[in-house]
Amino acid sequence: MPGMRPLIVAYDLITAYGEGILPCWEGILADRSSIGKVERFPTQSFQSANAATVAGLNYLGKDSLAIQMLAPLLKSNKALIPDDAGLVLATTTGEIDILEKQVLEGAGDVAQSKLKFLLEKVKALTGITGESIVISSACASSSAAIGFAAGLIRSGKRDCLLVVAVDAVTEFVFSGFSSLMALDRDKAKPFDKNRTGLSLGEGAGFVLLMSEKRAKKEARKVMGEVAGWAVAGDANHMTGPSRDGSGLRLAIQKAIKKAGMSGDDIGGISSHGTGTVYNDSMEMKAYKSIFEDKPIPLYSIKGALGHTMGAAGLIETIIALKALQEKIIPQTVGLKDIDPEAEGWVSSGKRKLEKSAILLNNAGFGGVNAALVLRQ
Amino acid sequence: MRNNNPNISLVKGCGWVKEKECGAGKDRKWQYADPHGLYAQLLKDSILPYPIENFGRFNQDSRLTCLSIALALYDAGVAYSKGNKQDIGILGTSPDGALNANLAYFKDYVDAGRKLGRGNLFIYTLPSSPLAEAAINFGLQGPLLYMRYLEKPQENLLAQAELMIKNKETRAILAVIFDTEETRCYYLSGVKTR
Repeated sequence: MPGMRPLIVAYDLITAYGEGILPCWEGILADRSSIGKVERFPTQSFQSANAATVAGLNYLGKDSLAIQMLAPLLKSNKALIPDDAGLVLATTTGEIDILEKQVLEGAGDVAQSKLKFLLEKVKALTGITGESIVISSACASSSAAIGFAAGLIRSGKRDCLLVVAVDAVTEFVFSGFSSLMALDRDKAKPFDKNRTGLSLGEGAGFVLLMSEKRAKKEARKVMGEVAGWAVAGDANHMTGPSRDGSGLRLAIQKAIKKAGMSGDDIGGISSHGTGTVYNDSMEMKAYKSIFEDKPIPLYSIKGALGHTMGAAGLIETIIALKALQEKIIPQTVGLKDIDPEAEGWVSSGKRKLEKSAILLNNAGFGGVNAALVLRQ
Repeated sequence: MRNNNPNISLVKGCGWVKEKECGAGKDRKWQYADPHGLYAQLLKDSILPYPIENFGRFNQDSRLTCLSIALALYDAGVAYSKGNKQDIGILGTSPDGALNANLAYFKDYVDAGRKLGRGNLFIYTLPSSPLAEAAINFGLQGPLLYMRYLEKPQENLLAQAELMIKNKETRAILAVIFDTEETRCYYLSGVKTR
């Protein structure tokens, strides 16, 4: 539909590097990981003691970690957000620390940890009056949410949507990933031949999507276009990805097709790249089955920021937009010895981005895969 | 079934499960003592063409999701198997998300001395987990999303399912709606099923 291209006209985030894209981008390019020792709960019984946490948050305090990250972020950007925007919130466990506090200390009401209440709080913080929804699709939640918003704009159903994402590192989440033996003892090393698992991270962010028509009318600065999107399932296993990458391949093929592009148009891949043996291998199989013998510069930010779960796709979208703007493919922090399967694709050094589109992928429990094609 | 929601033109099948009764479309109903009894009955009647792997270890939401989907697919006349994967999506909505599973996991973890969580409880702490169990069992490779609208959650879910089909994001969608007394699943498709 003419004038309905879904454009990203504003974004912001908070990660373990601090507030905003700049410290995050500079930290990654400096090859500096934000993963460190977790101080907010005891970790001696777990597989790892490390995660990427945001400094200065008060765990099990008055407000949830999610609200402590989101409130300053959304308040400081309120002027950018139209009241009539639709609101899409992406998260996996939201304010799970409310439930933890009740079980551990007997304080509060567990029902308040329902995602619906976080959505209401975010709605109040933004002042949005439009339709509001939570989308949760495991660790593909926020890339799926961005695709959902892009679909509504391109079909002409909406002309402005705010996608907000958040997830926090709490004892609940940390103990769970540890029980699945999914954590690297030290720090995640995506696509390294000695990788042993992921590192958890936390963060929050938003992207404001607008139709091309409205963005022009409001003279908005355009950060990039969500040109293609898709979600597809492995239909294979609850916690492990499909070994052959077939679900991810399906999502990527659909997203590239929706963008009206071909594999030749993709200049870089923002991979899910958790650092688990099976995920990274599955991704490489999917990429090779699509791009064959033409390696595309690929990176993962999870050795830098940790795996921010439901927020990962949105944070990675913002980093990919920065990469498109700077024409740089950032290095994969934590990578030392490249897995032979990823040789020629991934690098421990930054590279030049030669084309104007990045493919972004996420995968999650239950075998869900999301792909976005971001274009400058 | 025939569409009992006049606003949604793509509904081709419906299944529903209550505490002691379930149905497929308007015509078929089954009564049973508990969801395990229903599972056995649906297998016996070949509504379920093969056993659901690990059904016994599923949490309640996953069981109800799978059974309501089986009934909706039966009503729509859609054949399926694990080996023959299809581009059918699953959208789900519920008032509480994974609240019960979250409590079950964390209380167990705390009761065990906060040393080790149980992985088989943790996997259900995502609101999308019951949908994922169903996707695995029925071989469904389409979009898989838990969606909780603040206003009119059920109507909006069905409208979104229809939009995704019209936008060619998937060929068909199973829309699973949990409520306090009933789990209902609609099968939506732009293609005639029989």
